[in-house]
Amino acid sequence: MQLLLVDDEKDFVETLAERLSLRGFQADWVTSAKAAEEIIKTKKYDLVLLDVKMPHVGGRELKRIIEKQQPDIKTIYLTGHGSEEDYQAGSAEAEHYLMKPININHLIEKIHDALGKKED
Amino acid sequence: MTLSIDPVGEAGLKFYSKISASISHEIKNSLAVINESAGYLEDVSLMAKKGMAIDVNRMEALAGSMLKQVRRADTITKNMNRLAHSLDEPVCQTDLNALIELMLRLSERTTVTRGIKVSAVFSEPAVTLFTNPFFLQNLIWLILNFAMDLTGDTKAIEMTPAKTASGADIRFTGIHQLTTAAGKTFQEGPVRSILAVLKSTLQFDEKSGIIILQLPDTINK
Repeated sequence: MQLLLVDDEKDFVETLAERLSLRGFQADWVTSAKAAEEIIKTKKYDLVLLDVKMPHVGGRELKRIIEKQQPDIKTIYLTGHGSEEDYQAGSAEAEHYLMKPININHLIEKIHDALGKKED
Repeated sequence: MTLSIDPVGEAGLKFYSKISASISHEIKNSLAVINESAGYLEDVSLMAKKGMAIDVNRMEALAGSMLKQVRRADTITKNMNRLAHSLDEPVCQTDLNALIELMLRLSERTTVTRGIKVSAVFSEPAVTLFTNPFFLQNLIWLILNFAMDLTGDTKAIEMTPAKTASGADIRFTGIHQLTTAAGKTFQEGPVRSILAVLKSTLQFDEKSGIIILQLPDTINK
């Protein structure tokens, strides 16, 4: 499974990608929307994990940009933000919406669940 | 039943809640990094028990990352604590440099997310006023939020405090799309009420893209 992780917290996204790689995922990571836009032009992904709040272009806007390039891609939002409004909007748009800090086993469950939905 | 909230109190609560939400978001980010680092150490420990070699340099980097995040979270909570204590007294001697620096830190996540660089040129020596620090912070927050939409392509705002004959002023520069109409609208509602509490005024220089907040040396007169 090809995963792309996008989060402006480098230490977070780098370590999470390493942990997912240890569990058999092919996980690439970038720290900005701009870098994500570049990488999706060259590589196909099954799922993208997006930080909702990022400088310049946030996760929700980036999702729309990525889907123009790769319409079948599945999305999981990650956020430290806990507002009910964000949660409702995010849950409606993405396969899943997870709050940081995350439990890796829970995340993997959600990744399988999202990609299972894709196969349906 | 009707609910009556005075505009200054309402603006103060909104400001406090916005900052609290931003701070909790920042702390969650620090916790997330620490969580992943600890999780990675756990993963590697399990693999080491099965005979896999440990990358000592990576371990060192993870420890450094966790320490950095603890310091970051500690700074964030200290700043939040300073904001909370700014409500202790209705009027007190207030160092403008320190207050502006605190506002820079508290609003950093919001300004960075919006792609705006906010900076300050501090006065030397520092200017002190007898004012209500909480509502002055609230007013600076409102001005920054207003100004952030009007920077144009430069996407940068600079705050400069300076001593004046009657107290001090704070100049907000870089607001290139400032208009008379926008300035008028901004001064309605809570801003007007907070200006009255602080016995202060706002001046708008649309041509230069500057807002000047004029503050008295004391609000007790």
